[in-house]
This record gives sequence, structure tokens and C-alpha cells, in this order.
Amino acid sequence: MKKIILIIIYTLFWRNFLRIFIGLKYFNNKSLRNIKQFILIANHNSHMDTMALMSAIPSRFIHRVHPIAARDFFGGSLFSRILMRYLVNATLIRRDREDPERDPIDDMDKMLKKQRSLILYPEGSRGIPGKMSNFKRGLGYLVQRNPNIKVIPVYLENIYKTLPKGKKLILPYNCSIKFGQPIKFNSLDMEDILETAEKEILKIKES
Amino acid sequence: MDKIFNSVDLIPEIQWVIAIILMILVFATILFWIWNKISPSKLVDEMQIRTRSWWVMCFIFLFASLINPVVTYIALGFLSFFTLREIYSLLNLRDMDRFVLFFCYICIPIQYYLAFKGYYTLFLIFIPVFMFIIIPFLLVLTGETKDIIRSMCILPTSLMLGVFGISHLALLISFPEMNSNGVSGKALLLFLIFITEANDIMQFVWGKIFGKTKILPNVSPNKTWEGFIGGVLSTTVIGYFMGFLTPLSSLQLILISPSIAILGFMGDAILSAVKRDFGVKDMSNAIPGHGGILDRVDSLSTTASPFFHIIYFIIIMS
Repeated sequence: MKKIILIIIYTLFWRNFLRIFIGLKYFNNKSLRNIKQFILIANHNSHMDTMALMSAIPSRFIHRVHPIAARDFFGGSLFSRILMRYLVNATLIRRDREDPERDPIDDMDKMLKKQRSLILYPEGSRGIPGKMSNFKRGLGYLVQRNPNIKVIPVYLENIYKTLPKGKKLILPYNCSIKFGQPIKFNSLDMEDILETAEKEILKIKES
Repeated sequence: MDKIFNSVDLIPEIQWVIAIILMILVFATILFWIWNKISPSKLVDEMQIRTRSWWVMCFIFLFASLINPVVTYIALGFLSFFTLREIYSLLNLRDMDRFVLFFCYICIPIQYYLAFKGYYTLFLIFIPVFMFIIIPFLLVLTGETKDIIRSMCILPTSLMLGVFGISHLALLISFPEMNSNGVSGKALLLFLIFITEANDIMQFVWGKIFGKTKILPNVSPNKTWEGFIGGVLSTTVIGYFMGFLTPLSSLQLILISPSIAILGFMGDAILSAVKRDFGVKDMSNAIPGHGGILDRVDSLSTTASPFFHIIYFIIIMS
């Protein structure tokens, strides 16, 4: 049931809407088809980023892909929590650490152990328009614990222009979403992982 | 389905043109294929990509323009929409202009609705009069005056380029005077687009073969006197032989075809200058080999409205 809802929303509605009206171009998103489980990492500047990423995912396993969202921002009320859960398929994590026992990394790790895929914005928040800020350490912990899961870099070009931070009006703008090849990490050192991931995303940007 | 197709009434002239277009495409495809076999070069590769894009564009155009007027209106509306989107994606407008941009996009359905209903006067003044007043005022409402003159100039002008000119193509189809007394709007539309695009191609070909003296050395290195004159002359010849689509006499055809060629050149040159200002070669990469959509319709946006009014004048006069 959830799968059907997600397919209608993303594969039918958002994909066509983004393509025809917004002017989004998909590059290499077919390469996801053969990968069973992955972590997508992308630069983050706008709420449209999640819509673009979700619409690019093959409909076969769209229900097993979960964008990671902050509970304090998106889970304010019960209503928005339900919306996030069923319409975005998001996993809400607590950033505030009210409960010291509960580590947000554990929540994400649990999803990965259940064979789910994640969409992660390593920058943490939308940040300054058009600029990539430093990556948070959460990605590093996830890779260290699950070194076998493929991490796929995605570069979102100009998508923030269709819905900049703080604006409510979605407008067309020629933009593109580019998928890269799975990242090979040389070592499981924290600094190394973050540096490689950042470099890979910038590499797609320049290609 | 019946409703869509029962308005397809292809008069013999239009069937002829479709045959001619297909023949040219087949000829070009075979020519470049053989050429590529004999002496492969970068130029031929580009020509092949361009020809492939022409196939796609011709089929979309023929399908959209001949099936049903409503389909034509929607297709032309989308053409305007893509053109505007391309302009706004390139021109780095201010963040507060977004709310005005929304109104610019809203103009497209309004303009095409006016064309569809045939409200001739309102159609003519909607953008050049109303929008040229309303859009600057909406920009004032944003309350930020820094760089406001830039937006005030760009937004209405982009509407002229992307919506006003192209919407005259739609008006050709539905305008009552254009579709009576043996005149067919569809045939006129085909004539205009055929002549304009033939002029583009001819200027390109003549320029590639004989081009030496540059017309506008600071704007576009590809435009030469040889290409321009050769283009105008061959467009006149093509226009003369394609004249069976129009109610015009031979003399009128000989006068009108070169004017379309010159107008098309003007549109091309205007856009070249804009592109040069922004330091890009093409508006986008929407059409392989050709660049952006605006790179293809730039000459149409300047030829459509003068052509419409010339024909209108001639029909009224006779």
C-alpha cells in the first residue's frame, strides 16, 4: 500500500512535474537499478532536493528508501510526522540528544540492518545557497559500521533555485541531478571518509 | 480520439510540404551518412547530430500543428514556457524577483487564451502595453530598488521575445480572416516556419562555405556578409517556390521572403549579443547539436509578428 502511494506521488507525479515544468534533468539514475542497498549522499540547499532524489529512484524499491530528516524541524506536530512517514517515507531522527541513551546514528544503523537504503545530506542542513559546507561526522560513523554498503554520491545542480531557503513559491529553473559511481573508501578513518565523500561529489559537479 | 482527428483536413498543398520536408530530411541524413563514411570530421559529426535533432523537431512540429488547433495552442504555449525558463535560468535574476517571475509565467496561458478566442486588440496590447506597465510596478512592490532597472528591462523584454512573438503563430491558425476565402492558417504557419528555418539553415550553409567578411565581428564570429546575402537570396527563391501555400502574388512573395530573411537575421543577431554578454555559447543544451530552445526559435520570435501583420494587411486590402 505504502509502495503504491509512493509510486503515485514520486514516479508519476513528481518525476513528470519536475521534468516538464521545473526543467530537471536526470543523469545516470538508471545505474541505481542494479544496486540492492545504498546510501545516497547529496549536497543540500533546498526542500526540493528530497523530492528530486526520491523521484529519481527506481519505483521497484522506492518504499525501501528513506530520506533522513531532523525530528525537531519536520516532526513538530503529529500531523506533519504522519505526512513525513507516509508521503515522504522519511525516517525522523533526534538531533537534540534529549535522551542520552538514544544515539541518532543507532536509528540509521538499525534501518541499514533492516536492508533499507538511506538518503543522507552529510552537510546536516540546507546552509548557504549554492555552497557546500563541511560534512558532519554521522556519515563517517555509518560507513565505519557498515563498510559493505555502497555509498553513492549525487550532485544536485541549481535545484535550490527552484525553491530557495525561506521561500514558499516553487518556480521553474533548468537544473539537473547527477548520480555518480559508488565510492571506494581507501580506509575507514573518519577524516578520510568525509574527505573522499566530499571530493567525489565535487568530482561529479565538475564532470 | 475521433474528436481529435476529425479536424485533420490536410489540403493538398500541406501534403506537398510534408513530403518536401521529409524528402529534405532523408536527403540530409543520407548525405551526411555518406560524407561521414568518406571523410569523417568533427563538422560532419555535428551535422549528423543536428540532422537527428531536426527529425525530432519536424515530427513534433508537424504533429502539433496539423492534428488539432487546441493541440497546437498547448504545444506553442509550452514552447513559450520553455523559452522563458531558459532565459530566466541564464540571467541570474534577483531573489525578490521570483514573485514577479511567477506573473511572467502566468502571462503565457493568458496570451494564448486571447489568441484562441481571437480577441485581436487585447491580444496585441496585452504584453506591449499592460505587462510593460504592470511588471515594473510589481517589481517596485518588492521594495528593493538595487539593480531594479535590470529586472525592469529583462522581464518585459523576455516576454516580448518568448511569448509575444511566438504567440502570433497561434493566432495564424485561428484568426477568422486567415481561414476564409481560400486562405488556410495552417498553410500560412507552415510557410512562415519553413521560410524562417530555411533562412537559418541557408545562412549557416553559405557562411560555412563562402564566409569570409564578418558582419558583426564583436558579436558573432559566425555571421558573415557572404552567408547573409546568400541566405537572403536563397530564401527568396525558396519563398517564391513555396508560395503556393499562401494567397500572395509572385511580386508580393519576392518582396516578403527577403524581409522575413532579414528579420530572422535580426532575431539571431539580437540573441547572439545577449549570449555574448553572458559569456555563453548556447542558451542551454536542450536540443542536441543546436543548443537551447531559444537558439532555434530566436528568428521565429522576430519574424512571426511582422509576417502576421503583413498578411493581415494584404488580406484586408484585397
